[in-house]
Amino acid sequence: MRNLFIYIPLVIIALFVLGPFIWMLSTSVKPNGEVLSVIPHLIPRRWEFDNYAKAFASSPFLLYFWNSFFISFVETAVDLTIGAMAAYAFARIDFIGKRALFLVLLATIMVPGEVLLIPNYITITNLGWVNSYQGLIVPWLVSVFTIFLMRQYFLSLPQELFDAAEMDGCGPLRTLFRIVLPVSKPIWITAALIKFVGAWNSFLWVLVVANSPSLYTLPVGLINFSSNEGTVYNQLMAAATFTVIPLVILFAVGQRYFVEGIARAGIK
Amino acid sequence: MSYRARRTIAAYFMILPAFSLTAVFVMYPIVDSFLISFYKWDMLSVSKPFVGITNYIYIFQDPLFLQALSNTVLYVVSFVPCVIALGLITALLLNQKIRFLTFFRSAMFIPYVTSLAATGIIWQWIFNDQFGLLNYFLGLFGVSAQNWLNDPQWTLFNMVVMGVWQNLGYVTVIFLAGLQGISREYYEAAAVDGAAWWHKFRMITFPLLSPTTYFVLILTTIDAFKVFLQVYVLYGESPGPNNSGMTLLYYMFDKGFNDYHMGYATASAYVLFMIIFIFTLAQMTLSRRVHYEG
Repeated sequence: MRNLFIYIPLVIIALFVLGPFIWMLSTSVKPNGEVLSVIPHLIPRRWEFDNYAKAFASSPFLLYFWNSFFISFVETAVDLTIGAMAAYAFARIDFIGKRALFLVLLATIMVPGEVLLIPNYITITNLGWVNSYQGLIVPWLVSVFTIFLMRQYFLSLPQELFDAAEMDGCGPLRTLFRIVLPVSKPIWITAALIKFVGAWNSFLWVLVVANSPSLYTLPVGLINFSSNEGTVYNQLMAAATFTVIPLVILFAVGQRYFVEGIARAGIK
Repeated sequence: MSYRARRTIAAYFMILPAFSLTAVFVMYPIVDSFLISFYKWDMLSVSKPFVGITNYIYIFQDPLFLQALSNTVLYVVSFVPCVIALGLITALLLNQKIRFLTFFRSAMFIPYVTSLAATGIIWQWIFNDQFGLLNYFLGLFGVSAQNWLNDPQWTLFNMVVMGVWQNLGYVTVIFLAGLQGISREYYEAAAVDGAAWWHKFRMITFPLLSPTTYFVLILTTIDAFKVFLQVYVLYGESPGPNNSGMTLLYYMFDKGFNDYHMGYATASAYVLFMIIFIFTLAQMTLSRRVHYEG
């Protein structure tokens, strides 16, 4: 009896959260006639998988997919590498000016990225990088959040680890890549997942920097497809499905790291 | 060279890449944005006259900006309480040693990791006035069909529903982590005294959870002030009927990339930045106080 009071509201909440996705999947496999019916139904009477092929053919989604993957991958790889280097220096090396530099870096977290949109666009214009991969990628190669997350973790590692590395004659870079990173797997997976998802979903920057479809990422390509196809909802939902699917798979694989990372960053 | 000097050089070498990128793409733009807000400039021409605070005076007299400001504030004060209340309830339910905890927790999180571009299109379809799921569902309870996306009176409601849906998982996960940090001993002591659940919630859970609540409150508030994308996508790249979905960030985007008024755009961006800055300061002072008292 007590359990009912827990499970019934939970199921209602889960339906609210997942309902739109279920509806997306359902619409994406319906023929035109069934989509526009006044009394909607969940299971299509006739399954129309052709919607996926049609959506895929009417816009260069494969290219958008590649752009999304390439941009997110480069941003994540570089962010993790140079972020880990900075985090290691801040956590484990005692140097002149450390406190001041770290505070300056930390203060930038407060600034909402959206405020930087216009001056960064001007910088990119001056560099001649509008409508190019450099323009899309370079401003996002480092995130202070990654540095912060890794620094906290490196601080918690035992001093003996570092003493032993130094005894073996390892410099800081070698210590970081050979010894520290292998034992810091949970934190760099978390940082990588958060960065990758953020890059994959980034919208506003791509919208203003990419002027031609050849540089669109999936989200921007999807909106472009939507303004062209307007009301063909079954194809639209098919396109939305393959925009969403890669991240849902990534999330399903790494959900433990993801959820714990958010909880840890949230609580500190 | 001394050991410390060598280490300092190594440290600076390791910080250099991250720091220089941050300097160019974060620190410099903060200053640059502020400077641009005092000029009349369309970004393309050489002419760039200094106009003092004229841009700020202009936007505060622009009915569209005032509408954006009031829409944004209305969104914040409607969205934040809803998402916090629902997130707290969900976290309390999930904290009851239930089965399928991992499933529920992960499912809740999916909207948060999926692109707003895709989810915006899904919600556009659900809000469709003729064939949308929402009108059908409400029709089952005898509610007449509404023109959700074309009637300005529903714009705030649509934004809040979509915002809560998107952020519920995030808020729940943070609350859940906070709840799991509360020692079981308090509840065991309360159980000995035979306290009712409502009593336990009021006397133990809520007070001990307050640092988390403050944190979530400030974070969701800051986030809510930046609302833009869900309007942009939901209303097919427009700020909604009669600009009913015009927000501060939408105004900045509109002035900057549609009208090429960089002065107005950066001035409005700085107004938004100042609002967020005040909330960040509030968070830092509050969290310090809560921490010392707790």
